[in-house]
Amino acid sequence: MVKYAMAVDLDRCQGCRACMESCKVENNTVQGNFWMYVFRFEEGTYPNTEMSFLPRPCQHCDNAPCVKVCPVGARYKREDGIVLTDTDRCIGCRYCEVACPYGVNYFNWVEPKKAQYPVVNWEDEDLATVTSGAVPPYRNPDLDELQGPEQRHTAGGGHAKGVMEKCTFCVHRVDKGLDPACVATCPTNALIFGDTEDPDTPISRYLAEKRTWDLLEDAGTEPRVHYVGGSPPTHARVEIERPKARA
Amino acid sequence: MTSHDTRTRQLPQGVGRLTGPWWAFIAIASAVLLFGVYAYWRQASGGLGETALADTGTMGGATWGLYVVMVEYFIGVSFAGVAIAALARVFHIADLKPVTRIAELLTVGSLLVGLAAVLIDLGHPARGLWHLLLYARPQSAFFATFTLVGVGLLLASLVYLFLGGRRDAAIMATYESRLNWYHRWWASGYTDTGPERERHMRAMFWLSIGIVPLLVVSLSTEGLVFGLQVGRPGWFGSMQAPDFLVLAAASGVANLIVLAAMVRRALGKAGEAVESAFPWLGRILLAAALAGLYFMVVEMVSLLYATPADERLIAEALLTGVYAPITWLSFGLMLIGLAILTRLAAKRAWHVGPLVLASVLVSISAFAERYLTVVPSQTHGMLLPYEIGAYFPNWLEIAVGAGLFALGALLIGLFIKVFPAIPMTDEEEVSAHA
Repeated sequence: MVKYAMAVDLDRCQGCRACMESCKVENNTVQGNFWMYVFRFEEGTYPNTEMSFLPRPCQHCDNAPCVKVCPVGARYKREDGIVLTDTDRCIGCRYCEVACPYGVNYFNWVEPKKAQYPVVNWEDEDLATVTSGAVPPYRNPDLDELQGPEQRHTAGGGHAKGVMEKCTFCVHRVDKGLDPACVATCPTNALIFGDTEDPDTPISRYLAEKRTWDLLEDAGTEPRVHYVGGSPPTHARVEIERPKARA
Repeated sequence: MTSHDTRTRQLPQGVGRLTGPWWAFIAIASAVLLFGVYAYWRQASGGLGETALADTGTMGGATWGLYVVMVEYFIGVSFAGVAIAALARVFHIADLKPVTRIAELLTVGSLLVGLAAVLIDLGHPARGLWHLLLYARPQSAFFATFTLVGVGLLLASLVYLFLGGRRDAAIMATYESRLNWYHRWWASGYTDTGPERERHMRAMFWLSIGIVPLLVVSLSTEGLVFGLQVGRPGWFGSMQAPDFLVLAAASGVANLIVLAAMVRRALGKAGEAVESAFPWLGRILLAAALAGLYFMVVEMVSLLYATPADERLIAEALLTGVYAPITWLSFGLMLIGLAILTRLAAKRAWHVGPLVLASVLVSISAFAERYLTVVPSQTHGMLLPYEIGAYFPNWLEIAVGAGLFALGALLIGLFIKVFPAIPMTDEEEVSAHA
């Protein structure tokens, strides 16, 4: 049985946030929603400061608190390890969001299509020369399809007002044998994705060679995202260069 | 004028008589409710984005806010109503019997309002009701809110109110009035004969015994909604359930005292019967508020003395930071309420004015405590080093919240005009049959 996982090599990550951008484009997530988020940290006092980065996708936990608390089974874990949200079933109680210690859930507070990137004037003539007049959300037919053996509506974001969404490991790509968009985009191969049940996959070999740690191990969530290099974040690290995510 | 006509005009306890002050009360409550409905209509059409709620983490908000606070508060208030009514029936406390119906009414009203707040907080309220029937997962602590509380406790409380009122309904049905059909429906064949009354008393006794465990279990699950979340500093812990129950008892009894005092005032001479309950209710409130204060102090000492690193941010926010005014307001109001209650207890003179004042203070303190349970752990309780968040309800949430209060007030206000708020005495029964 396939079991997907992701390895994040912090020694390779340069904090470019290309993974965040590719995730947004691939999944049509709404403004302010970062299914993949990269912390940029600064520690120490000038001039003795040190910068570090921490990509934070959904951890697709084996003991997922969000799955436990969902009252209707809209949040569920597939046999291949991917934790998904059935947006047709979600009732919008947001219990998964308060249960998750990683802060990876994003609720569609308003109608997504109306509010997507409202700060950009898409009718601007200069911009139109670059975009050829296309206005997001760009249509991606894959995101409308039912996914997996369960045939549930789980891929992509911005589907409806009042439902919860989060990183899907790009389930619509993975089911076609492709890597998630963030992995495919990473210029330094800091993100490695694959089947950990097969010892010959790149991720299995990588994880076998390296010392890894998991994010918030004490929470007992048993994440399927494993970190290599760096060290677990603490509140001593100050986050800098936050995206303008707030409403 | 025949005796038949006299009975038509004078239903006991002001039932059926719509007075000026009552109309004023209904008008104000309706206006507040309508404004709340308007606010909710804006929320329903625009989405929960019309509120001040926002995602935790990168958005730096609270995803559960005033509505969840109201869910916790109102479901907590429901605890005391049926508990007090059961206490009066099981232990045959005659002094508490005049407030049993008001207590049952408070439970039903607060449960309805609390459950309305649950639906209002959902992104998809209609889907919420439907999908809970189709796909309910008992593993979720939230499931108990919809089943044990939303169905079990509400139905049990309605049955309790219904059965407890059958005798009075039978007496009321002997009056010729426009409400006669309603009272006959409620009496549902009960005529208050000796054997019937004996069966009725036995049924109410066992129902009283049966409903208390249901009450404790179902309300404990409300505490567990928070207490089971290991990833949320400030929430995780086994004390959430008993803490919830203690505060529920305090806020519930406090609301019952206020409601009983209002009924006493509204009913004039007929309302004086509830006065015998005030010393009991005062003493119960004193005990519950003391227990509530104990939990507050224990929590503060824990926060000050040995706070784990992840909880330190919340502790600082609660004690000296952005939530400190609410923390100390809650603590101070509880202390003042307790001081008033202690003085009344020492003097053994449970004057209604100071008792109501103490109840209002305890009730506000309990509401603030619920707010402090729900909100800070989201804005300051992220285990990853996100920026500190912020949340304060906006006008729309406050309007919807006020509308919920008005809904509860309207339900109770309408009820006392169609049914006796105080169980009828044997004297009233004799006069009805005269």
